[in-house]
Amino acid sequence: MNNEILNSIRSHLAASAPHDRREQISRRLTQINADQIGVNLRQSAADLFRLSLEAVNGHCVIAQGDTDIARALTQIITDLQKTNLRAQRIAISDNPLVERLMYLTDLEIEALTVAPNDIFSYDVGISTAQAAIAETGTLVLDSADERHRLVSLVPPVHIAIVDASRICETLGEALALLRQGKELSRAVTFVTGPSRTADIELTLTVGVHGPQELYVIVNGST
Amino acid sequence: MTSQTSETFRENAKAALADVHLRGALKHATSVFGERRKQAAAGLPNWEDLRTQARAIKDEVLLHLDRYLEEFVTNAESCGAKVHWARDAAAANSIICGLATERQARVVVKSKSMTTEETHLNDALEAAGMQVVETDLGEYIIQLAEETPSHIIAPAIHKTRGQIAELFTNELGMPPTDDIAQMTRTARLTLRDHFAAADVGISGVNFGVAETGTIVIVENEGNIRLTTSLPRMHIAVMGIEKVVPRFADLDIFLKLLPRSGTGQRLTTYQSFITGVKKQQSDEGPEELHIVLLDNGRSRMLAHPVTRQSLACIRCGACLNACPVYQQIGGHAYGSVYPGPIGAVITPQLMGIEKTSQLPYASSLCGACREVCPVKIDIPQLLLHLRSEIAPRKGGVAERLVFKVWARAMMSPTLYKLSSVAGRIVQRVTPISRAWTNGRDLRPIESKSFHDLWNE
Repeated sequence: MNNEILNSIRSHLAASAPHDRREQISRRLTQINADQIGVNLRQSAADLFRLSLEAVNGHCVIAQGDTDIARALTQIITDLQKTNLRAQRIAISDNPLVERLMYLTDLEIEALTVAPNDIFSYDVGISTAQAAIAETGTLVLDSADERHRLVSLVPPVHIAIVDASRICETLGEALALLRQGKELSRAVTFVTGPSRTADIELTLTVGVHGPQELYVIVNGST
Repeated sequence: MTSQTSETFRENAKAALADVHLRGALKHATSVFGERRKQAAAGLPNWEDLRTQARAIKDEVLLHLDRYLEEFVTNAESCGAKVHWARDAAAANSIICGLATERQARVVVKSKSMTTEETHLNDALEAAGMQVVETDLGEYIIQLAEETPSHIIAPAIHKTRGQIAELFTNELGMPPTDDIAQMTRTARLTLRDHFAAADVGISGVNFGVAETGTIVIVENEGNIRLTTSLPRMHIAVMGIEKVVPRFADLDIFLKLLPRSGTGQRLTTYQSFITGVKKQQSDEGPEELHIVLLDNGRSRMLAHPVTRQSLACIRCGACLNACPVYQQIGGHAYGSVYPGPIGAVITPQLMGIEKTSQLPYASSLCGACREVCPVKIDIPQLLLHLRSEIAPRKGGVAERLVFKVWARAMMSPTLYKLSSVAGRIVQRVTPISRAWTNGRDLRPIESKSFHDLWNE
């Protein structure tokens, strides 16, 4: 590659060479340690995940198997229907698991697949997450496996279902998982709690551009 | 407010000091951010190691920036992104306006990007006939108010809720309220219309990963996700210094950046974008353009002292820690980048002629260096820049004074004579009014150490 900017970089680096003691610059780039912040090893990953998520205004339910998850979904949505969040129109991702679980509930789903220009009219979005991070309460959404970029973002409520076995302890583990044995997906999103801002007088307000409420159902029976 | 320049820094600072409301807001904001940062850093036992490693990675990248950029570009393009090189602000703006015009864009949504503030992209897009909408809440507020950001991560830090409510009532027809949640809701609804109508989304970039060609963007609000998901074209503007070698390096930077900026363990959202979607039915834009901006950055590589400016990850921690910023805020600097890091970056980006007061906007206390997550020695940089300014600025009188002083120091008789003279002069005249206005000058002792020793 050759262009004006690369040439400028090369000539300025060459000018700098006499001033540099390059050998002193650490090249320890291969060894990066995952740290163990606040990780209490006696706690299960699911419990730690729940604590971390609740610390950032998210809600977490730990369920055992499909029937239990369907019950949790029904509970969350009927409770929301009593609030000003309405929760009438529900959009779900294209993950077959979500569709199956929705049939197990008594809820009416208005649409299963959503066109992008229609997404703004939905009250709740439901998807799965491909992984999670316990130390930060983070969901890992991988677009290669599911179409959930918009259902997880646009409706005022996002409900995500994640397998307990997919919860990593640390951020470093989750990053490694994304690259393990496969090409990196075109779009990966980490989600830690509901959308937030503090741009007005540093006052925390949830639900700016993304969801105001985030519920995660951890499936502990896998 | 918006017309302040770096050339009038002293006057700007004086005006800011007289603004009681501004100082109250700054005191609150900088102390809250500072305290949160401190707690977040204390939560990681290996914080110091992380800083050292982060800096080592940045040094490695900068010393071989050409190679890492080539690797980044090759990998990003192999995943379907198109990379453009822009040597300066004008080149970047013309590339971006060209792309948007090609798309026949009428509405452009933007997520917060200091780099596009640096190039004044909004003016260029508007001149090309497009409506540009800032979507970060703070940026949206200052866009409506026709102001500029006063803090790297909290752009509207200088405005009260009352001012913002009035602005929203006048501009957006919001019923009068002092409820922040209501104001936020108003912005959400108004901006959704813009998102739905937007043809092009423009974002910044926090990290570009060389080995995968991935761009990483961090945020709390969700407007970056919308900007990079809904419009058919996404343009990402990235300073050439934003490259990191490996995907695993993000483990270090994603720990340091949010903790240093807002005291969070992670910001709410991290978007990792690698090229464009593979199938038409997938979500996301059809086109991704990455504009690599030099704009004076490659020049900073020419010396190890100036080169470290390029290690900055734009967390804003040095602003909050700086006793000067704490008193005068961001606008007084008259530059896109305020605070200690602004005082060193701005003269290097914009040239020292119009910004020569900025390297003096510091007491060299070193608080910025203490909090910097990538250990940039800002005081060293300030001194380096001052040493470039001094030979140009030092007047004849100053040079004469130092010549006389040097002569006196070399001769014991002249030295003795001068201290006697000093005692008399000090009693008769206030030596420098600017200096003694704010503090007392200790009187010179009537006997020198030498005299006392002899006794």
